[in-house]
Amino acid sequence: MADGGTGHGIGARVLRKEDWRFLNGVGRYVADIARPRLLEAAIVRSPVAHGRNLKVTVPEGADYPVFTADDLAAAGVKPIHVVSKYPGHQAADYPHLATGKLRFVGESVAVCLAETRAGAEDLAAQTGVEFDPLPPVIDMIAAVEDTAAKIHDNWDDNVILDSLFEANAEGMAGAAISVTRTFRMNRQAVNPLEGAAVLAEWDARDGRLVVHSSSQIPHVLKNALCECLGLRQNQVHVIAPDVGGGFGYKCVLLPEEIFIPWVAMQVKRPVRWIQDRREHLIAAANAREHHYSVTLHANPDGSFIGIEADIIVDSGAYSVYPHSNILESTMAGRTLHGPYKLSAYSVRSRAVATNKPPIVPYRGVARPGICFAMELAIDAMARELGREPFDLRMQNLVPPESMPYSTITGGQFDSGDYPEALRRAMALIDVPAIRARQQQVEADGRLIGIGFGCYIEMTALQTSAAARAGLAAIPGYEQAHVRLTPDGGLEIGVGVQNHGQGMETTLAQVACEKFGLDIDLVAIRHGDTATSPYSTGTYASRSMVMAGGAIARTCDVLGGHIRRIGAHLLQCAFDDTRIENAAVVGPSGEVSFAEIARVWHRNPEELPADVDPAGVEVTSGFRPSPDNSPFSYATHAAVVAVDPDLGHVEILDYVICEDCGTIVNPMIVDGQIVGGLLQGVGTALFEESRYDDQGQPLSSTFADYTMPGPTHLPMVRLDHLVTPSPLTEFGVKGLGEGGAIPPPAAIANAVNDALRGMGVELSETPISPRRVLAGIAAAR
Amino acid sequence: MTELTLKINGEDVTANVEPRLSLADFIRDHRRLTGTHLGCEHGVCGACTVLMNGEPIRSCITFAVVADGTEITTIEGFDDDEPMAQMRQAFHENHALQCGYCTPGMLVAARDIVTRLPDADEARVRLELAGNLCRCTGYVGIVNAILEVLEKRRS
Repeated sequence: MADGGTGHGIGARVLRKEDWRFLNGVGRYVADIARPRLLEAAIVRSPVAHGRNLKVTVPEGADYPVFTADDLAAAGVKPIHVVSKYPGHQAADYPHLATGKLRFVGESVAVCLAETRAGAEDLAAQTGVEFDPLPPVIDMIAAVEDTAAKIHDNWDDNVILDSLFEANAEGMAGAAISVTRTFRMNRQAVNPLEGAAVLAEWDARDGRLVVHSSSQIPHVLKNALCECLGLRQNQVHVIAPDVGGGFGYKCVLLPEEIFIPWVAMQVKRPVRWIQDRREHLIAAANAREHHYSVTLHANPDGSFIGIEADIIVDSGAYSVYPHSNILESTMAGRTLHGPYKLSAYSVRSRAVATNKPPIVPYRGVARPGICFAMELAIDAMARELGREPFDLRMQNLVPPESMPYSTITGGQFDSGDYPEALRRAMALIDVPAIRARQQQVEADGRLIGIGFGCYIEMTALQTSAAARAGLAAIPGYEQAHVRLTPDGGLEIGVGVQNHGQGMETTLAQVACEKFGLDIDLVAIRHGDTATSPYSTGTYASRSMVMAGGAIARTCDVLGGHIRRIGAHLLQCAFDDTRIENAAVVGPSGEVSFAEIARVWHRNPEELPADVDPAGVEVTSGFRPSPDNSPFSYATHAAVVAVDPDLGHVEILDYVICEDCGTIVNPMIVDGQIVGGLLQGVGTALFEESRYDDQGQPLSSTFADYTMPGPTHLPMVRLDHLVTPSPLTEFGVKGLGEGGAIPPPAAIANAVNDALRGMGVELSETPISPRRVLAGIAAAR
Repeated sequence: MTELTLKINGEDVTANVEPRLSLADFIRDHRRLTGTHLGCEHGVCGACTVLMNGEPIRSCITFAVVADGTEITTIEGFDDDEPMAQMRQAFHENHALQCGYCTPGMLVAARDIVTRLPDADEARVRLELAGNLCRCTGYVGIVNAILEVLEKRRS
């Protein structure tokens, strides 16, 4: 390790720098911030899924005005409008407050203010919402039929984008083995434990709007505020303080993040809106919801030829800023192949509009759905061929000798040993022992099953791929700002946003690795547009790769500046110096960072003539070259017990073998994987945002929407492969999302393995007791 | 308005509050003790857990007026508490927190488990924790931290 023996560099199990404030109750989330003369906001929301001729009646005699879409329009506030560059993408305005039409239950209609939230809710209860009801479009399959009502009146139909991904489609004609199935992954709410939260105030002294928001993308939020409110960039300051989980929900703009600040500007007082859980479960039921018709084709020996599929993604009523509403459908269409070798491909993917909240990229983004479809299709084929499911996978995974591997849809896997991950997962879960157990009758009458899920995750989405795909938001280089402070420590500014990943620790480890500093001397600053470099923010498992890379590159530049001063103080040639243990070392001695910092900051008369006036604070950046993405991958394996009388599924054992390249902090890597896994368990077994046929949400409390809890998963076992990516600093690959991708596939395959003897094949998440019993009843 | 007299973290407090005010809002907005968090406001997630007369309660579904005459302890009130100090250290060392939002309520519940059930095993710990939701950690670090403190206190 090059960290000088501090034990704080890349690979060290450093305990988290950010823990203390959370353990002592002094974290600062938006709702914890008070302001003199603060007003609290409550939002009047649409009570119906679909309506027109909206009329809002404001209560008389209220102490504060109630704001509606008419007020925003009169002030010239621009709606959200996000259209991708993908040909044929139909996009509509996303009004901050419903304008004319109501398009989902929970859509914002009006804002009420009072001294307390309770008072604001009283006012909201007195605000009248009138409308003419329209037939709602709730099911994504029905949404594409000619008879469906139209979500947006000026559209031809409800299809947002119809895209076809094809290569050698004719290669599948006459395949010996073809297995066809349909799959559905239902809608969820992301449910970070802290919901959305906005506190906005106009700072008259500086002539700027100051917005605190629980956001993963503070700089992008600033762009949106400028665009919608017509402000200059130097008139907006966005701060994301401690963020209580995001998981993708907070990497898109919420209408509240525009209209709450606008309202604060009108009343000239600070205004705060804190989303409550019911608001979240209703207005933010906006994740997953894919439908697949899949045919997997293979040769008689089980080698895959290709896949045909028709994918529909329920993308809700609007297109969100900045990622639009086609991210899921296009990613699903392009990468349904997963980690497998295919020589033919024909996948149609449609994003369709419905009367539901607009889709956001929840942890895993499309891949939990495609992994579910592909991995269940593989198990169905294995059953048809009489093969072991792991055996069929092993035959078809991209082998390590093919790396880097060009996929049939134009992607490139950078590195890794996919079959080895499967082999290790098989060994850990002990397949022969499970198969032997299945031969016995369980004392409690339950049925045992084993299932696998393999996935790849393109992490740290890059410029060229995003531009090629026509995405609405295209990331570029990432920057870091590194300052050698007068005491010889480092302050590092980054534009990505820590919201639980431990980046205040792991990003500091990069600087420790470069300079051999003690981590207590390194501070990561983020979450403030005034003090951090511009960034598109934290999403797409990109922050460690991109911001970590930026810190590494910037430390290299800064190290040169530090060495130049050190060489002068040591009276030696620049080329004879190196950095070790937070000191510049020359042939005859060394000089500490603290000493160099003293000279630069306080005794500049001692500086050499050739010093770089940029000094000891540097902003530089990173992007892989070529700008390809590192691919993480894993095999998950689950053992379940299914109660055929009650329909209950218990996870008995769960193992993961993954490869995220070089591991920066093993404790945090394991934490990200297991945390993602339990969210995937939620998708697999519990979580569902249900609607009735009128589009009324049926899952608006935690009593109706089951969250995974501490009793739902036993102690899992993890194994790590480490294949450094050739593309990135230190060989790191993104990691944050992957844990959530394959659990629905692995668990569903295990359930189907358990129920195989009964002829039951489940194909829809969550695998609730009701669905298990219905499957058994249908098979009888 | 209803008059309310109670002790919060050892401090005597008297206030006039609306009868509909929750104890959580009283603690957070009136007393500015913001370590107690609100995750669901309907008594499921446990983020708002505080001690009332030494027993964990959900402050989001407890009216402030119900706390009249009681002693409330919030996450800010455990500075000299040995089991809480052990629990904080164990949470830190076992990576039992990520975003930190559930952590105060989780710590209050965890401290209650180790003081009330010194012989609890993993299954019992998980069952006892079922009133607290964490969206980040998968509970592995939390369960390990509690088991570690139980072990330490037994030996």
